Amino acid sequence: MAIISREQIVEGLEEILGKEQVITDEQVLKESSLDRYRKYEQVCEVYTQPIPAAVVYVKSTQEVADVLSFANENEINVVPRTGHSAIEGGLETALKDSIVIDGSTMNKVIKVDEYNMQVTCQCGVPLQELDDMLRERGYTTGHSPQSKPLAQIGGLVATRSIGQFSTLYGGIEDMIVGMEAVFPNGKVCRIKNVPRRAAGPDIRHIICGNEGAICFITEVTLKLFKWQPQNNRYIGYKLDDEYMKLGFDCLREVMVEGYKPSFARLYDAADAQQHFSAWLEEGKAILIWMAEGPANITPAIEEGIKGLMSKHPELEEVDPALIEKWYGGLNWGPEQIAEEKEEILATRNIGITTEVSGSWDNIYEIYKTACDRILEEVPDMTLMGGHSSHSYINGTNMYFVYYYNVVDCAPEEEINKYHDRINQIICEQVIKYGGSIVHHHGLGKARAKYVTQEYGSSYYMLKTLKQAFDPNGIMNMGTLIPLRK
Amino acid sequence: MKILGCFKVVPDLDLIVEEDWNIENHLHIDTGYAKLIWNCFDEGALEMMLRLSDLSEGLNVVYKLSALTIGRQKTENFLKTLYALGFSEGARICVEAEDEILFSPEMISEGIANYVKKIEGQDVILTGIQSSDGNNKMTPYLLAEKLGWPCITQVIGLEPIDEEHLKVTSQVSGGCIVRKVKTPCVFAIGNAPCSYLRIPTLKAKMKLGKRPVTRLVPEDMGMSETAENVRVTALNPIDKKRNTVVIEADSPQEKARCLYEKYLKERLSEL
Ligand SMILES: Cc1cc2nc3c(=O)[nH]c(=O)nc-3n(C[C@H](O)[C@H](O)[C@H](O)COP(=O)(O)OP(=O)(O)OC[C@H]3O[C@@H](n4cnc5c(N)ncnc54)[C@H](O)[C@@H]3O)c2cc1C
Repeated sequence: MAIISREQIVEGLEEILGKEQVITDEQVLKESSLDRYRKYEQVCEVYTQPIPAAVVYVKSTQEVADVLSFANENEINVVPRTGHSAIEGGLETALKDSIVIDGSTMNKVIKVDEYNMQVTCQCGVPLQELDDMLRERGYTTGHSPQSKPLAQIGGLVATRSIGQFSTLYGGIEDMIVGMEAVFPNGKVCRIKNVPRRAAGPDIRHIICGNEGAICFITEVTLKLFKWQPQNNRYIGYKLDDEYMKLGFDCLREVMVEGYKPSFARLYDAADAQQHFSAWLEEGKAILIWMAEGPANITPAIEEGIKGLMSKHPELEEVDPALIEKWYGGLNWGPEQIAEEKEEILATRNIGITTEVSGSWDNIYEIYKTACDRILEEVPDMTLMGGHSSHSYINGTNMYFVYYYNVVDCAPEEEINKYHDRINQIICEQVIKYGGSIVHHHGLGKARAKYVTQEYGSSYYMLKTLKQAFDPNGIMNMGTLIPLRK
Repeated sequence: MKILGCFKVVPDLDLIVEEDWNIENHLHIDTGYAKLIWNCFDEGALEMMLRLSDLSEGLNVVYKLSALTIGRQKTENFLKTLYALGFSEGARICVEAEDEILFSPEMISEGIANYVKKIEGQDVILTGIQSSDGNNKMTPYLLAEKLGWPCITQVIGLEPIDEEHLKVTSQVSGGCIVRKVKTPCVFAIGNAPCSYLRIPTLKAKMKLGKRPVTRLVPEDMGMSETAENVRVTALNPIDKKRNTVVIEADSPQEKARCLYEKYLKERLSEL
């Protein structure tokens, strides 16, 4: 699609950024052609996607604008990137001679404003570093995805990510104050930091969740909250796996009664064994809540939840200390990724996740029918289960967790034989029952093919946005909206 | 040929929170909440048994694979996984208070030896070289002594020969030895090239993993007669902190120069 050659692309980029910021090392380029959607290909080091022309490291908003203008003029596909932890193909360079624009070098925390309770940072600030720094001062962003040690602010906003404490703090969309982003024609837009406004549509949501398919996010201001872990309270119950429907109802009851725990989770038995095997019997599901906040509120939440749960004889309380310690080891950093790679190579057994959402009246059907169909239709499954980890007044999410052995199958065929097939079953069941096929990982390229089913008549709005902001089709093509065959 | 894999289920120590390593004035580390995993050397040993069995396809040798563990009820799930992978026998010597046998390789080896003598005779026994929690590094040696069998350590490969012999590759300082070994023998597995156990499918678990595990009482296995000859009297955490110097300078170039001039130049010239 680019109207100039690969060599000319590299020359042009070097002119803009200097040689040091333009990487053309073969291995780097290969590794930059995919993400964890093709985890099996990634660990086997088999690269099936077009290899990008260059990875460029940008240091300022102006550099981003210059690179985007150059790409726009020459119709070169660009893939924005920060932490490289994407799992739905958002980082795949689907078109020949793409440019990967890496914002991880824009990593300054610009301002911690303790009076207005907000922090402004560049897109490449790692969330772990930001939150550790804030915690030392007694604050937190409240954002804690499992990928906290990997992900950076730009990617977290671009994917509409969500953290473990979402029931209290919300998803990233609830935390964002203002932003700066660069559009394909080089136009820099800043959205100011105010507590709220009613001046037309909330344009922050054009940027948040754009997955690099509309603009490049360069700066974000997030809200701050007081960090007071000393007040945390943990609550847990086990129940037989056959009572999963009751489990969802328990999550609902807590929400409907107006409690605001910071996390609220329900693991089915298969998934629970991955976390709690030390003390939880096989065949038992588990319900967990954590209350966070001021000292006079958390005991009240704890008491309230326990009061509600005491009416269910099917539940058996578990020692809260076990929950507290488990949650300390939940996050995934580079060591776990490296270990996982070794394990997959040795066992040819791979674990994948797919997250969806549903209303209270359909989430159980989505969960149950998707699990049943996968077990029935997909070969070589070694684990099928999941958990709900983000609850709302009107519904919750389901995070499917599945493992399978890759049998008699080349790395490049794995995605068709297993991963996409499972994804398809999940998406079909979600659409059938009226949920959303994407709760927080983004559509990426993996699920872009379902976009029209997901959006229905509102697809018109998404398509119009894409066409208006990216008329030349250079922003992360194939993400959000599938490529035409 | 009857082969027994002895394994231990251990807590994943990577999941232990930092304050639990703080062991002032008590002799116990709380690992009760951490996920259970195969002890890494034992996992390699069990996979090695399965690979040996794979290699025998088409040859005139039949391997009957069994597994034995000493521990609490939770470990039975692991034995069922082995059933699903094709092990024909799984036994547990029931010890609920695992902490009490953590530093008792004497007792453990007595239990295994009696299992082999009284319950299920074997031609070959595989164990891991040590466990991640007890770290005693003695069980295979004591076991071989009790049985009067030879013991080969640091085994990294097993291949079939015939009903009475195995081709055994083991690591020694500076290289590897390949030997034709006559059974019976105890093999202690160290850095096995295949350190992960394969995973059974859910279908195999449904089909094969439901068989009951043979449960044995420690007293019947002579474990209570073995006097506890080691007692923990103190625990000291390893101080992982290193002395550090933060290099302060205005630019990365200057920092690099300072690192080179002050800390690296002299060392590099010695190389
Ligand atoms: C182990 C693991 C656990 C995870 N847990 C969670 C979780 O709990 N919650 C959750 O929400 N997600 C989770 N994720 C998914 C992933 O971490 C998130 O999607 C995260 O937001 C990605 O951030 P990143 O900086 O790594 O972005 P990248 O992987 O670099 O990019 C992600 C997407 O955003 C786009 N993008 C990146 N930077 C920019 C930018 N500056 N401007 C415009 N577009 C950009 C990319 O093009 C891509 O489409 C997990 C992933 C892993 C590997």
